Amino acid sequence: MKTGYKPHLIGFRTVFMAFLLVITFSGYSQDTGQITGRVLAAEDSEPLPGVSILVNGTSRGTVTNMDGEFAIQASSGETLTISFIGFETKEVAVTGGQTNYEIIMEPSMGDLGEVVVMGYGSQRKADITSAVSVINMENIGEVPTTNVSRLLQGQAAGVQVRQTSGRPGEEMEVTIRGIGSLGAGSQPLYVVDGFPVGTSLGQNLNPADIESMTVLKDAASTAIYGARGSNGVIVITTKSAKDGVVSLDFVVNQGIQNVPDGRRTRMMNGPEFAQFKHDSFVDRIRYFEQREPDLEEIPLEFRFPEQTTVSTDWFEEIMNQNAQFQNYNATLTAGKGDIRSLVSVGYINQEGAVIETGFERFNVRANIDGKINDFISMGWNIAASHSREDYASTDGRSALIGRSLWADPRYPVYNEDGSFNDFIGGTHGVFGTANVVQELHEMERNRSENNILTNGYLEFSFLKNFKFRTSVNARLEGTDQKEFRPSTLAGTGFNQAPPREATLYQRRNEVLNIAADQLLSYNKILGSHRVEGLLGFSAQEETFKYLQGNGNEFANDQVQYLSAAIRQTSTSGEADWSLMAYFARVNYSFNDKYLFSASYRREGSSRFGANNKWGDFPAFSAGWRISEESFMPQTNWITDLKLRASYGITGNNAIGNYSSLSNLRISNYVLGGAIANGQVLSNFANANLGWEQSQQTDIGLDLAMFDNRLILTAEYYNRLTDNMLLSVEMPVISGFTQSLDNVGQVQNRGLELALDYRTRINQLNLRSNLNLTINRNKVLEIRGENDEIWSGGFYSTYNVSQVGRPVSMLHGFRMMGIFDTEDEIEAWPTQDGAIPGTYKYFDANGDGEISYDQQDMIEIGNPHPAYILGFTLGGDYKSFDFNFMFTGAFDYDVFRNIEATTMNMDGVFNILQSGVNRWRSAENPGDGRGATTNTWKWQRESNSRYVYDATHVWLRNITLGYTIPQNPVIPNARVFFSAENPFLFTSFPGTNPEINQRGGINIGVDDEAYPMPRTFTLGATIRF
Amino acid sequence: MKKYMHIKLICLGSLLAFTACDEEFLNKTDPTVLVSDNFYQTETQVIQAVNGVYGQLRPLHLNQWQYTEFISDNTTLHFNPGNRGSGPSLEALEFWQYNPATPNITNLYNSTYGVMVNVNTTLSKLPESVASEAIKTRSEGELKFIRAYLYFHLVQHFGDVIIITEPVNSPAEAFEYERQPVETVYQQILSDLNTAVNALPVSYDSDQVGRVTKGAALSLLGKVHLTRGNYGLAIDALDQVTSMGYDLLADYADIFDPQNKNHQESVWDIQYQGDNQFGVNSNFIYTFAPRESFGAVIDFPGQEGGGWNTPSNDIIAAYEEGDLRKEVSLKEGYTDLDGEYVGVPFINKYNHPHSIRGVTNDNWPVIRYADVLLMLAEAINEVDGPTGVAYGYLNEIRDRAGLDPLSGLGQDAFREAVLDERRIELAFENHRWFDLKRTMETQELVSFLNAYGLQERANPTTSREGIPFSNGDFIFEAHEILFPIPQDQIRINSELTQNPGY
Repeated sequence: MKTGYKPHLIGFRTVFMAFLLVITFSGYSQDTGQITGRVLAAEDSEPLPGVSILVNGTSRGTVTNMDGEFAIQASSGETLTISFIGFETKEVAVTGGQTNYEIIMEPSMGDLGEVVVMGYGSQRKADITSAVSVINMENIGEVPTTNVSRLLQGQAAGVQVRQTSGRPGEEMEVTIRGIGSLGAGSQPLYVVDGFPVGTSLGQNLNPADIESMTVLKDAASTAIYGARGSNGVIVITTKSAKDGVVSLDFVVNQGIQNVPDGRRTRMMNGPEFAQFKHDSFVDRIRYFEQREPDLEEIPLEFRFPEQTTVSTDWFEEIMNQNAQFQNYNATLTAGKGDIRSLVSVGYINQEGAVIETGFERFNVRANIDGKINDFISMGWNIAASHSREDYASTDGRSALIGRSLWADPRYPVYNEDGSFNDFIGGTHGVFGTANVVQELHEMERNRSENNILTNGYLEFSFLKNFKFRTSVNARLEGTDQKEFRPSTLAGTGFNQAPPREATLYQRRNEVLNIAADQLLSYNKILGSHRVEGLLGFSAQEETFKYLQGNGNEFANDQVQYLSAAIRQTSTSGEADWSLMAYFARVNYSFNDKYLFSASYRREGSSRFGANNKWGDFPAFSAGWRISEESFMPQTNWITDLKLRASYGITGNNAIGNYSSLSNLRISNYVLGGAIANGQVLSNFANANLGWEQSQQTDIGLDLAMFDNRLILTAEYYNRLTDNMLLSVEMPVISGFTQSLDNVGQVQNRGLELALDYRTRINQLNLRSNLNLTINRNKVLEIRGENDEIWSGGFYSTYNVSQVGRPVSMLHGFRMMGIFDTEDEIEAWPTQDGAIPGTYKYFDANGDGEISYDQQDMIEIGNPHPAYILGFTLGGDYKSFDFNFMFTGAFDYDVFRNIEATTMNMDGVFNILQSGVNRWRSAENPGDGRGATTNTWKWQRESNSRYVYDATHVWLRNITLGYTIPQNPVIPNARVFFSAENPFLFTSFPGTNPEINQRGGINIGVDDEAYPMPRTFTLGATIRF
Repeated sequence: MKKYMHIKLICLGSLLAFTACDEEFLNKTDPTVLVSDNFYQTETQVIQAVNGVYGQLRPLHLNQWQYTEFISDNTTLHFNPGNRGSGPSLEALEFWQYNPATPNITNLYNSTYGVMVNVNTTLSKLPESVASEAIKTRSEGELKFIRAYLYFHLVQHFGDVIIITEPVNSPAEAFEYERQPVETVYQQILSDLNTAVNALPVSYDSDQVGRVTKGAALSLLGKVHLTRGNYGLAIDALDQVTSMGYDLLADYADIFDPQNKNHQESVWDIQYQGDNQFGVNSNFIYTFAPRESFGAVIDFPGQEGGGWNTPSNDIIAAYEEGDLRKEVSLKEGYTDLDGEYVGVPFINKYNHPHSIRGVTNDNWPVIRYADVLLMLAEAINEVDGPTGVAYGYLNEIRDRAGLDPLSGLGQDAFREAVLDERRIELAFENHRWFDLKRTMETQELVSFLNAYGLQERANPTTSREGIPFSNGDFIFEAHEILFPIPQDQIRINSELTQNPGY
């Protein structure tokens, strides 16, 4: 029996907190003298507050006060590192006798000297000739999140990050430069510390461990990842010790979450629903029998709606109004000497906005790296996590959220004796369903996951310019899932009163992924020539195994294990894939002015047909730093100007593991009363199956102005995906309706604009980032002319990909209004079965009949935003700092599938409060949005009535911070307040305009998902 | 496995591995299933391939009622105004509203050819296999019998159809096939059946019971001849079946009792097995039981039925007074758990106790000896009129049902009597649609069905809760005698022709 959501790592948390407290108050003493000083800006000699001062190789640090003054313990011979955003970091040696220092900070020459992590290496930002976005970690704010994917939100042009659900721990959906594939996946490849972990980050990485993130967008930067590069690559580097820094950092963040009123759907309450049912009986008799009904003809329970005493808001009942959020991190870094190391631990616990759900995770990471001698260096990084989630089936109309909307509100949650009322509705046509509150309390659903991610390298330097690096990466993941549905709950279908058969599902997965890279690099500067070369070999293999057991029918609901099941079944399986690749890259620059880069990868994959296992992925790029040319006037406002172009070919292998093979499946029979083993073909083989290929051209402009205060990056790209991995229809006389083949073309063209602006007004430092993405997607070819891919259903909606149009457009009837009279129906093209009050549809093919199939269905919505925006405004004033982050998506449509249920006039479901304004008669036609209750036909078919503009702007995060003045107990501390997802500005009636019910490329459908809470937290960071 | 580990080490571990590692590293096959390339070789594999084809007949027959019983005057549905989810495409069959896009017709077409590919693939690999000649011969007979059975259904449903008797090697090849005239399809059927008749044994050892026999092949051959009006040939084939040891069971109820599977009257049953979770079970009663019976018909708490294939008022009225078969075949209503009688009829033939919810043990009778006898009576009547032999077969059936023997009928009246008897004796066993098509001319069938439709529209067997019929419901048009070729098939292959009227 479940007793509510309880973090099971609670013991750990207590110890952790105690540890934190002890550390905090232990204090310290130093045998050094105090020095003082003042930090000024070079341009205007104004004092700079909030500047970080650190004594190299120690944990001693401080920040300047409002007047730019500081005091710190330091002794002669030590060095101070003074750093501040927007200024060049400065080192000042402490000399004997001098106790007061005036330090002048020069404005930063920007991030041009900065080194950016790329695929298989890094590059000076100034030398980059491809399209990459570096996530500015400073702009993210203090984000109360469990998942690293959140850090990408709103930060980079060309990167769409959709938070499709408010479920704790949920990974967001990331798409780079549009949907590039109809058949294979469109998710980017994630590379963590050089290890390509796949197209999902999962739930295991600790956001607090992230040092940097680089998004590789064009082919020149991703082709080095070959057959996994075409949807973009996100390169993540985790924290390691910084040279010379020894520190101990704590982060504590705690708060609450709730779903605001504005993000709730208004359903009818008890009396309203009774009135609605009452009226529907009246209307039916009036229409079909042309008379006024007698009172007795209305079922007793609806006869006097105002006497309805019970009114349950089921959605409200399953909300956890003050769900807790807690996050603790501690990081110890030791960066002194040749060997540096970092150890971090973290614990996060997020209760769900829905009761009885939640996510918690414990992370630990340790790395060590450094020089063994002048020739050999090495490093090892190991990260482990344990997470546990109490989840529920929340998404879709049949799941908890949907049911909490449509369940009959005239039933109480509890019986008078306090027990659960175990069957809701089920009378007079209202669908009976399980009590959602009871289901959340009594059903055990949890998943735990253990994950180890580790990598190590050895690097040899030789012949001055050469380095050879060999590395091994491994990911070991085990998950354990359990679902027990007790007999006390009603069935999952309609009208399935309890008791039912108890069911149990348990499953264990194991994934082992191993990769090894061998890299030989060459680096040489010869006068004005700079050459970098790379040769590499990479191999990777993944094995997945599972073991699953199901139990049915239990003697009791208390023992929830397979052994207690009267009937048990089990299954197991295994799958694997491998790849191997050779690659090379050359970067060449002349005079820091003319930049060239070329790369090539040859990759083989187990996933492809015997005749097509290997693919080639070349890429070229060039850059021209115009600002370095002598003909450029030496204006002082252009700091840097670079024009660049790239072209390359990348691939996508996100299809099933064994798709090219013809496999057999079991098809057993019964002979002589016993099971007789049988085998039949399960698919059509295609030994020619190969890569999906993307050719991408990118033209970019980088412009830095006014001493790097304004940095503009603009990109144009054209990505053409062909040989798509697609199920191709074939005549079914072959035995199959489709086979997987390489066909078709999809184009994504777009513009990206990123604008960074920093300024300083007196003591107010401001920084802002605006990024704009405009992507236009078009299907150029599928399998032949006029071909289309339909997915979805007649009673939901169709996502249709047609040649000449963007992928996955919403298709359905165009709703032209509501029929008021029989005459109107007569005058309209034939709509068989239409009666007054049903929707009037457009006869799209003009044949005089609206047929009850797809023939008159046309495009009714475009689910692709015309443009998306990310905007960050941050800064500090004296000891205070702030950060606001907005995301927005404009001009796109979402099909509110749930309204086919919540505006279903049959009276089988509770409906939206706005359903009061439905059509009742020609004289009382309502608001034109709700149909008659007299029939079911011509109102819930996919049609434009349910399409809404989902344009929105989210204020995603507000962070307000205060840096505590230095004091002996806490040398370096900051407290902050953070609000996550506080405001949503939209006219979209659903609870989340970014919802993507169908997942993958079939975007734009809303059937209700886990609600999006807003989170308010208070936290502190403390550094020793 | 050792070799594999070795490769892995070279590929992943070598420090200086710019050298190629074995290509084997990239060859992966699904360890949980077999790959077809090296199958169909040993005797066990051949037997498993044939069993697989039988196995595909299980799901096929779970839905066959839609196209052969439901569509006819025998059954209707209990309209569900609330849950319109899967309803409309099934209702299209009942109300004769189908069109080339009707999903259930596409399902029929696709799943039939989905069995065919395994028949053809196995047949094509048979000569090269190392199975014994006896098994090869038997397997050929079984596969060709099944192929004939599938084409017999296809040709009756769709008219001209594509004949494919070998596996295709590339998608392009599949585009080269065209529909063949009905006559050619029948030649293919007869050729396959003649092979099957010669290849199949009269009976099997007890551990192989369930495979098709010579008797089944002859019965099907007789039915094909009967359908084509070759009555003499039909009699020749069916007569042979009468001396193969088949007999009517004394009690009609015993025919359908799962305790009694593969009895003397059973010529060919689709085999299912319940009371376990091996996935080879049937579930007919779950489809046929009344929607709102909630445990009153199927003995599991709260268990509802599908409300499909509901016996029509018309067939209920067709039972003669005292017919013992009525109570076995159908129930006119049930008593709900509150003790109230609910007048929603349902098919009872496949309603037997079972231990696991949703998992029933009922076999599906495809050909039984009563069918053979009635076919013989029908054929003899066409050749020689109602002879004593013909009466004998008919009255044998009637006698078991507790009905008086018939006598003194003219040829036409006897034909009608046999059709009526078939309707009742073989009720809900997927014969009615083909029986009507076989025995009536097009116009006759059109008016016959419309008369029935009018009656259902005026007085539906079950309540529609006030929801009116759509205009086209229960209006049968002549072209609807043949199903349309599924739209998807024509869309991807414009060379493919459609049946007239669609």
